[in-house]
Amino acid sequence: MIEVDQLDKTYSAGRVLTPVLKDASFRIDEGEYVAIMGASGTGKSTLMNILGCLDKPTAGRYLLDGTDVAELDDDALSRLRNKKIGFVFQQFHLLERATAMRNVTLPLIYVDKYPEDAEKMAEKALAAVGLAERMQYKPNELSGGQQQRVAIARALITDPEIILADEPTGALDRKSGLEVMSIFKKLHQEGHTIILVTHDLAVAEHAQRIIALKDRQVTEDRRIKQQRDPDLELDALGVGEVKK
Amino acid sequence: MRMWRIIGQGTQALGTNKMRTFFMMVGTIVGIAALTVIMAMGNGAEQKVMKRIEGFGPRAIMLIAGGGKDLPPPDLTVTTLTLDDAEAVRDKVHGIEAATPVAFKRNMPVKAGATQSTAMIFAVEPDWHEAWDWYVSDGDAISAADVATLAIVCVIGQTLSHDLFGSESPLGNYIRIQNVRFRIKGILEHRGTSPMGTDFDNRVLVPLSTGMRRLFNQDYITYVRIKVKNLDRIKSVQKQVRQLIHERHHITPPQEDDFRIVSAQAVGELARGTSGTLSILLMALAGLSLLVGGVVLMNILLISVGERQKEIGLRRAVGATRKDIRSQFLAESLAVTCSGMLLGGGLGTVITLILEHTTQVPIVLSWEPFALSLAFALLVGTFFGVQPARKAASLNPVEVLR
Repeated sequence: MIEVDQLDKTYSAGRVLTPVLKDASFRIDEGEYVAIMGASGTGKSTLMNILGCLDKPTAGRYLLDGTDVAELDDDALSRLRNKKIGFVFQQFHLLERATAMRNVTLPLIYVDKYPEDAEKMAEKALAAVGLAERMQYKPNELSGGQQQRVAIARALITDPEIILADEPTGALDRKSGLEVMSIFKKLHQEGHTIILVTHDLAVAEHAQRIIALKDRQVTEDRRIKQQRDPDLELDALGVGEVKK
Repeated sequence: MRMWRIIGQGTQALGTNKMRTFFMMVGTIVGIAALTVIMAMGNGAEQKVMKRIEGFGPRAIMLIAGGGKDLPPPDLTVTTLTLDDAEAVRDKVHGIEAATPVAFKRNMPVKAGATQSTAMIFAVEPDWHEAWDWYVSDGDAISAADVATLAIVCVIGQTLSHDLFGSESPLGNYIRIQNVRFRIKGILEHRGTSPMGTDFDNRVLVPLSTGMRRLFNQDYITYVRIKVKNLDRIKSVQKQVRQLIHERHHITPPQEDDFRIVSAQAVGELARGTSGTLSILLMALAGLSLLVGGVVLMNILLISVGERQKEIGLRRAVGATRKDIRSQFLAESLAVTCSGMLLGGGLGTVITLILEHTTQVPIVLSWEPFALSLAFALLVGTFFGVQPARKAASLNPVEVLR
């Protein structure tokens, strides 16, 4: 569960103080599918970095499962990311020379006790994103959509509290994007908490709820009445559902 | 263990870009190879020195006719060293065990029947054996009676024996040197070859008196071989001998000496001196290679950190701490230098073996260069790896993942 309370973030360069996020307060419960939406420069990325424990707020409180993140040092934040957060980036950020399998097991390098069945877990995660057949492929042998799905499998491997996806469809064509969204839909149905960060309302509408930012502030926090269904849209494209 | 997995990440990176890995490694390879060769040559040279000291006799001092700073072989034309000088050394110098006068000539023809050979002829007294720790293996040694009676007898070395008599025993046979027929009464123990290539076993020992009067026709000797009682007396004995001969030959420094005193230490130092220059050059090459190699390694790693910013950011995002990143890059650097060490050690060993087979350079392979190489590999890897590792660890994941 995430609880943010009057979150402020200000960057200081010398004497110049640049506020990038002001007074953000909201709460995201376990199992929710939330989109954080805003144009660039609205503080959306900053909020995402803070939620992802990559950055700390200047003021305010961020409770992740009851832990006040602002009080943790860099090492503790690293451990927290490893345990509780699965990242999916716009640019995938896969290791170019490593197979899908090795990319997916990467977060396990940094857990305290390497699971004996790591490969099994990776196989499962890759199967969950429809890439059971591509485990030994390297990123350059995969399409963009497939690469992003490897990245999602990587995010899943540690069974995190939150999957934090930053513009996950931003680098993909429409069909691949929908396939990725279809996976998020399925993960949500399986009970994962998903936070989708995007500037695109069409993407945001796949979530149940939108937290919108404007001018560094949360201006809107609403339920989506008509959630978009990627599977239906894929059907409409005539390509059917993603292989599961 | 977690740390092993992180080290594994560092070492795996080497396999992914082999060309880059090679360039990172090449300095270490050359440096360590040079180091291995130097150490082998150094050990070889040292062994040669030890052999020369051994061959000379560690407790021996030679009083040699003729001035100058050269070591043996002596100048055979100088006539000022006499039997009386040897007598005086024996009587007046303290701390000596033996002092025996020797006169000798090189390359004298020796005949046995129709067979002919050449050998070194040594005219000696009975205590020659003791002074050289070199005894007869068969038959009898030159005795005091032989010297007193100018007996025409001799003791021969094993090479000469073989050359003249084949596998037969030469004992009781005769050899002819300058038309004097010597009866062979003994055979010397086998001694082998000097580091300079002289065959010690190609020699004839005759009684000093017989040699000086009947063969060489001279009343001077070539050198006095002195054996001191124990090693710490060497300096004192040298000094006493110098003083004594100065007095007897009426020499007052700075007047030039007509004799030289040579000790085993001096022989050793001379041998050491010649191998030193090459060693220093190679040492400089090794040091320079390791230094340049280290700098190249550091720069490639720094570039690589720049190229791999996204990877580093990602690793941080999925849970790597700063220390984990630092360890990974340090492991990469150390993996480079340690594999470079193995390759360099192998290369050095191969070069050493080739040198051994193609040149006269004495060589001894041992474990020390490998221990030293490992130490250097760890040192270079750590020293030049720290900076890139720090840089990698200091990257802010938020910035590099943007």
